[in-house]
Amino acid sequence: MFEDHEIISTIEMVKNENLDVRAVTLGLNLFDCISHDLDRFKKNIRKKIVNHAQNLVAVCDEVGEKYGIQVVNKRISISPIALVGACFSSDQMVEIAIELNDIAKKVNIDFIGGFSALVEKGIAPGDQAVIDALPRALSQTQRVCASVNVATTRAGINMDAVLAMAKAIKKAAELTSKEDGLACAKLCVFSNIPQDMPFMAGAYLGVGVADAVINVGVSGPGVVKTAIERNLEGQPDLSLGNIAEIIKKTACKVTRVGELIGREVAQKLDIKFGVVDLSLAPTPTIGDSIGEIFQALGLTNIGVPGSTAALAMLNDAVKKGGAFASSHVGGLSGAFIPVSEDLNIANAADKGFLSIEKLEAMTCVCSVGLDMVPIPGDITVESLAGIIADEMAIGMVNSKTTATRLIPVPGKKAGDKVYFGGLLGEAKIMDVPNSNLNDQFVKFGGRIPAPIHSMKN
Amino acid sequence: MNKLIITVLGKDKPGIISLISNILYELDCNLENANQMILQNQFAGFFIVEPSNKMDVKTLSQTLKKKTNTSGLKIHVNTIEDNHGVSENTTGEIFLITTIGPDQKGLVARFSKIFSQHKANIENLKAVFKGGEDPNANIMSYQVFITPDIDTALLFDSLRQKAKELHLDIRIQHKNIFDAINKI
Repeated sequence: MFEDHEIISTIEMVKNENLDVRAVTLGLNLFDCISHDLDRFKKNIRKKIVNHAQNLVAVCDEVGEKYGIQVVNKRISISPIALVGACFSSDQMVEIAIELNDIAKKVNIDFIGGFSALVEKGIAPGDQAVIDALPRALSQTQRVCASVNVATTRAGINMDAVLAMAKAIKKAAELTSKEDGLACAKLCVFSNIPQDMPFMAGAYLGVGVADAVINVGVSGPGVVKTAIERNLEGQPDLSLGNIAEIIKKTACKVTRVGELIGREVAQKLDIKFGVVDLSLAPTPTIGDSIGEIFQALGLTNIGVPGSTAALAMLNDAVKKGGAFASSHVGGLSGAFIPVSEDLNIANAADKGFLSIEKLEAMTCVCSVGLDMVPIPGDITVESLAGIIADEMAIGMVNSKTTATRLIPVPGKKAGDKVYFGGLLGEAKIMDVPNSNLNDQFVKFGGRIPAPIHSMKN
Repeated sequence: MNKLIITVLGKDKPGIISLISNILYELDCNLENANQMILQNQFAGFFIVEPSNKMDVKTLSQTLKKKTNTSGLKIHVNTIEDNHGVSENTTGEIFLITTIGPDQKGLVARFSKIFSQHKANIENLKAVFKGGEDPNANIMSYQVFITPDIDTALLFDSLRQKAKELHLDIRIQHKNIFDAINKI
């Protein structure tokens, strides 16, 4: 039998601290679906995805019920469409996106990721077709997520791709102007994209992964925040070292829960278990916020001086605790700071505590980048590409993943409110200084060479 | 010879385990299993022994009572019956079912009746002390062994319905989740 405190703390974690499993994502390799004939290709991918995923939601719910821990999001990631659909035109790529959207509805998942291209060292015809198709594909579908990897530490930054993505983002926003540029909320630009991440919008299944695999994203930040608060209540003189230890232990527990549930889902579906992604992913709900962790750590708000140090400590402790709990850690594994998806972060930005420059600085020490940031719709392509390039450089030089999910909201300016709904949340548009420039830098094109420390062989 | 189970009850104080185990040692009884608990200030202990060939239930009971007559302990000795080939269903899973809410008479009676009707065995039951003064924070936790022949959907539904009637919050969770979180 368990001790009283073990029973109480477990129940409290579920009941009051939002302990759950954020995402169970079924990764599917679609290389065996390749065909030069579009209809046959669509038929093949439908057959494969439906066969593997038809019970995904039911099994996740069943396992969640057994443990009293909800699996919040059930999703699918697939091989990059730019590779498996390399022979198709951009018009045909749009058709593929519509087919994927329909398949997602059929198997009752909220997002399918992998409408993707990997172009860090060059753009092949299939990649170009995907990039050209992105605005239409994302504006004509609801459940398809896209990502384009434009940089790696080993390859450098493909600035042609950066500029192309800035144009694609602007176009996607225009095509969904009535929904505040919603299409851009499903589009990430990456440096060092992980091939096994379960979180959207960047999830895709890499080429070195098994035919089908279950990847799991662990619970959110509410558990960590409450653990910090509870301990500080009893011992207000805790040092930051002590607090890091508390975060580490909590991350360990949360990871074990994620792995337990992920493994059981994988076993019931007769699919290999892949990785646990340790990332703390917030939702626009009070008590489930990364921003609130900063306040628990004694900061007025996320974004004030000290925030980058606090985030570095949080990210590190989460990794250490999670790594002890699971031998198969992957994906992003850190802390997310998505502006509109985190009510507290959105409020901090609204009140002026958090600027886009500070946000960029913070991405040097966390697992993602400029995530779900609504910006003025009249930003120039060049300035947008410049922001993307800056963020990619952080990832490239620091040998880590960074990404942008920027939403230039058509017809709106800094301070205006945007509403995306559901997990995507709402926020006020962040001011972007110098957003009206047409600087030449991003238009030179070519590749920014890989940093010297990439030469490790 | 059949094994014997010795039950020891009484006010808790230092030395009870020592007293009983030493008497059993002197009587050449092999102590195979022992467990004890303290509820408020009352000690309850259970000892399963394999007695020597010369020892029977009556002799052991009399000897134990004689040697502990000043301790205030109440001692009972019984034979453990063989199953005589009756096989028990030992495959199954353990769930922790926890009710949270205001204390009221008959809580355990009402829930244990449901477990009994569904032939689910309660392996452990405890009132969990949360601390504080909140009368609504009364927690009862049942560790229940559920065999494959039990319709869990029906059982869990009955439990949830009863909890709703009694204005209790109920949590039904597989034991492994508690292991994952607490047994690192």
